[in-house]
Amino acid sequence: MIKTWRVALHEYQRHVFNRRFLVGLLSVPFMMVVMIGLIFLTISMENKTRAVGYVDRSGLLAQPLPAPPVEKPNKPVEILAYSDEAAANAALQADEIQVYYLLPADYLSAGKLKVVHVQAVQSPARQQFYNFLAVNLLSGLDAQVSNRILSGDEIIVQSVDGSREVSSESSWLGLFIPILAALGFVIAMFTAGGYLMQSVVEEKENRTMEVILTSVSPNQFMAGKIIADVSIGLTQIFAWLVFIIIGIKVGAQSIEILRGIQVSPQVTLLCLVILLPTFIMVSAFMALIGATVSEAREGQQMIGLISLPIWIPYMLIGLIIESPNSPLAVGLSLFPLTSSLTMLIRQGVTIIPAWQIATSALILVASAAGSIWLARRAFRLGMLRYGKRLAWREIFARRGAGL
Amino acid sequence: MSIVEITNISKSFGPVKAVDDVSFNIEQGELFGLLGPNGAGKTTAIRCMLDIFKPDTGSVAILGGAMNEAKKDHIGYMPEDRGLYQDITLERCLNYLGSLKGLSPAQVKQSSEIFLKRFDLTAHKTKKVKELSKGMQQKAQIIATLLHKPDLLIVDEPFSGLDPLNTQLVKDLLREQHQQGVTIILCSHQMNLVEELCERIVLIDHGRTVLYGSLDKIRRRFSGHAVSVQTRDTLPSLPRVERIETINGSFKLHLAPGSQPQEVLRLLVEQNINLDSFKISVPTLDEIFIRVVKNEGEGL
Repeated sequence: MIKTWRVALHEYQRHVFNRRFLVGLLSVPFMMVVMIGLIFLTISMENKTRAVGYVDRSGLLAQPLPAPPVEKPNKPVEILAYSDEAAANAALQADEIQVYYLLPADYLSAGKLKVVHVQAVQSPARQQFYNFLAVNLLSGLDAQVSNRILSGDEIIVQSVDGSREVSSESSWLGLFIPILAALGFVIAMFTAGGYLMQSVVEEKENRTMEVILTSVSPNQFMAGKIIADVSIGLTQIFAWLVFIIIGIKVGAQSIEILRGIQVSPQVTLLCLVILLPTFIMVSAFMALIGATVSEAREGQQMIGLISLPIWIPYMLIGLIIESPNSPLAVGLSLFPLTSSLTMLIRQGVTIIPAWQIATSALILVASAAGSIWLARRAFRLGMLRYGKRLAWREIFARRGAGL
Repeated sequence: MSIVEITNISKSFGPVKAVDDVSFNIEQGELFGLLGPNGAGKTTAIRCMLDIFKPDTGSVAILGGAMNEAKKDHIGYMPEDRGLYQDITLERCLNYLGSLKGLSPAQVKQSSEIFLKRFDLTAHKTKKVKELSKGMQQKAQIIATLLHKPDLLIVDEPFSGLDPLNTQLVKDLLREQHQQGVTIILCSHQMNLVEELCERIVLIDHGRTVLYGSLDKIRRRFSGHAVSVQTRDTLPSLPRVERIETINGSFKLHLAPGSQPQEVLRLLVEQNINLDSFKISVPTLDEIFIRVVKNEGEGL
């Protein structure tokens, strides 16, 4: 057993303490920072801070209450009152305001509002004016009632057996976080798996394997490699998590919504029971590919065959979100190669029945064990085949011969 | 006591029979030569010996029984093609290979420092293996094989890529290991070196054993096919002699099959050739190798 750990440690150090790994590790958070930066830049460019005007003929805003505070990163827009339309129009022409609203005398009964602008008004400014209007419309009510109406409700959706709950407050985050986690997981799984496949091919090519196998058994060697592969992937995921947590902590100081981010125990549990066996299964497939092919390029092509079904849930994300409990979504949740992504996507939009999680986890554990068994056979048959590819039928056909 | 017992092993890969009913024993403390032309089945036999391949038929006993994980720590194997990680430093490569043989980091350090110094590689230990010359890599491979002080050493073409100085160094090292009681299996195409180092050999060709036994006995068995003659006279063509070869002023007379040296001596005397010397030529291993491989069936 100790030799398995020595193989694992060597593989881990060889790949993790490597410039290529560090570049890969940092490139994802770097890209995320760039993307988030671009989003903020777009928001700030969209966020015209020029004042908004209004002309009130209804008398509703004769003694207006101030607009409610604005959530960051949006900036507050000044709301200016004009006595008549000509004054408002002059201000608009002089570029002092970006838009003005005209509340007709019958506004309260008719509910019609006129808006005048040169260019289409940006949504944050429009929203702030509507909030200002809502505050004043509700000014006669009790403050608590008025606040409740303005804030809206948080709906907690509970499963029939009462075991699981989803909050409407975190709905978009609840969908976004598992999808992001799944994306990071798949990237880490294939990055680490790529290292594993390549190292097996290299060890065949440069004959290192022959030396190693006079010290350890093929099973110890392969087990060590799979442990290293999973550890490399988890290191990558852990490092990204650290970056994300730091990002959220820093961002939460100025972005209100980031303060509410929480990862539920259900998501954590789901990640453990679904993602871990998936990772082991894919690692074993990578070892199998490494053992069967004669060169790394050929192996990369075969990785494509494995990765294609794994990405299917992303291609069908619209259908899954729309009908998260449809036979298609349930079927994809139970199929080993698609279950991890499907489960995480569904987690964000529905309550997945416990039996489906348990069944999927069991199928994945069985698939991981099966793929390790296959990889072990391929490894023993193909480990010393230099420059010659191992046919798949040989893996299944050769019962006992040479094994 | 036999440290390796190979009994009637055969191994096929599809239609190709790589090893066909091969048997030989290697005694403890012996320096044994495993010979054969390219593709003869030597490497497959070694892999069966090391349990990398299971033979289709026959049995292998090593270090007193079937191979197991514990025994691997007592065996040092150096394959013909260098098997070192190219993208890590020599030091780290040796540490890893030593650790897989059950050595602690301190033991690896102590052992590798001795060998690195002896092979003049201390200054190169922090270099990546791929940055070392072919000869240096060969020496590094030898070090990796010896780090854990094996009881059984299997070296496949250990002199490949080495200059005469380093060849001598490796020869001395093998002799030293042999003197310390290590059993050595030497696979090499350099017959002069095998002749110099080994006591017994097995020659495999087309997967079959064609020669096996003590080198002295084999040489004696193959002697009598040529005689060496020294004379100042011109040699006439002689019946029962296939070919006459001149080597450094003396003649080597290759006898026709079935001819005896005594007959040739009688013919020379009858023809009044003044002989300075007449001796039965003992063939080199190289000559025996060529002869056996060319005329398979002449062996054993």
